[in-house]
Amino acid sequence: MTENTRNRLTAIAVALPAFMSAKAFAAGASEPGLPQLDIATWPSQLFWLVVLFGAGYLVMAKIVTPRIGAVLEERRQTVDGDLEKARAASADAAKIRADYESDLEKARIEAAEFAKQAAMEASKKAEAADAKIARKLAEKVGAAEAKLAEAKSSAMANLNDVAAEAAMAAVASLAGIKTSSAQASKTASSIATKLAKQETN
Amino acid sequence: MSNSEGMHSPVEQFEIKPLVELSLGGYDVSFTNSSLFMLLAVGVSAIFLISAMRRADMVPGRMQGMAEMMYEFVAEMVRSNVGSEGRPYFPFIFTLFVFLLFGNMLGLIPYSYTFTSQIIVTFAMAAFVFVGVTIIALFKHGLHFFSFFVPAGAPKVLIPFLIVIEVISYFVRPVSLSVRLFANMLAGHTMLKVFAGLAVMISGAGGLAMAGSLLPFIALIGLTGLEVLVAALQAYVFTILTCMYLNDALHLH
Repeated sequence: MTENTRNRLTAIAVALPAFMSAKAFAAGASEPGLPQLDIATWPSQLFWLVVLFGAGYLVMAKIVTPRIGAVLEERRQTVDGDLEKARAASADAAKIRADYESDLEKARIEAAEFAKQAAMEASKKAEAADAKIARKLAEKVGAAEAKLAEAKSSAMANLNDVAAEAAMAAVASLAGIKTSSAQASKTASSIATKLAKQETN
Repeated sequence: MSNSEGMHSPVEQFEIKPLVELSLGGYDVSFTNSSLFMLLAVGVSAIFLISAMRRADMVPGRMQGMAEMMYEFVAEMVRSNVGSEGRPYFPFIFTLFVFLLFGNMLGLIPYSYTFTSQIIVTFAMAAFVFVGVTIIALFKHGLHFFSFFVPAGAPKVLIPFLIVIEVISYFVRPVSLSVRLFANMLAGHTMLKVFAGLAVMISGAGGLAMAGSLLPFIALIGLTGLEVLVAALQAYVFTILTCMYLNDALHLH
């Protein structure tokens, strides 16, 4: 009984707040106090706590936590790897698109250049052809004008002679004066030049 | 456990009954009902966690998801309360949480035994944590550890006074840590027993009184739900306080 009391006191020293609630129960119960404060059961409880918690710790530390940790790590790496792959693929796609667009732009510029050149060449050719035709026409026009001038001058020369002859004939018949044809033609041509001068003025 | 002959003491459920008598070096280390449920807590949690991770799928199933959730929960607790330096202590803290959670939860099954309602068990665990973190702190900081008891920026006059308070509050840690869990389990299970006993007693009166037993029975259902919450919460509280003490030991203030 004294042993029991001493045990009880030790228990109180360790767990004073527990003792408070224990007293309340002890007052109402016929059995003495809380079973928790029967320190005769403590060695067994401590022994099994150490053994079983220790075993639990070994299982958790050696098997469970490494295994779960490995799975989580593997998953994290897989997800990161997939994300990295997706990022690389996206960068590739962007590069391909940029290449395609720059190629397209180059082709567009080349085509415009080509079209411009073709247009320039065509217009050059057309100009050359135009110039050739114009030259030919000008030549023809020149030749025709020369012919015309020749015809005109020869006609004019004939006209002088005709006018001199007509004048000689008129003088001979009117005044009965015979004039030399040379004098007549000289007079006629001087008149003709005078007329031409008047015309130009 | 039977209440059919009337109201037994509500603390009778906490009695330790030896199942296999054992003795070691003169001490009685019998395998008891408490030891049996401690063994079950360790066994069930180990079997659950190992079998859940047996396939270790990249995309977890239900069981694996639960196991991973428990792991992540404790890992996050250690990360946010202790930081990266808490890594080596993670297996211990994980074991502590699982041990307490399964112990508390299994204890809620009728006719089972709640070993966390034993002050000696909770106190031994709290004392182990207390001594452990103090040794870690002494190893890491040496004599500088004692600066922990001097609050920074306090007026000089108050310092002796504050040191006394800090020292007391430090040494009260294992007591408060163990009593919190023990008292919660003790009170919860006692209350469940009281209401269950009441329901049985009233229904035993027969006749119209049978209907009256519904009231404590409904209360019992509500209390059981509350106790499930308390069981999980107290396992969490014990674990997170251990993390905080460990953080104090590793980083002082």
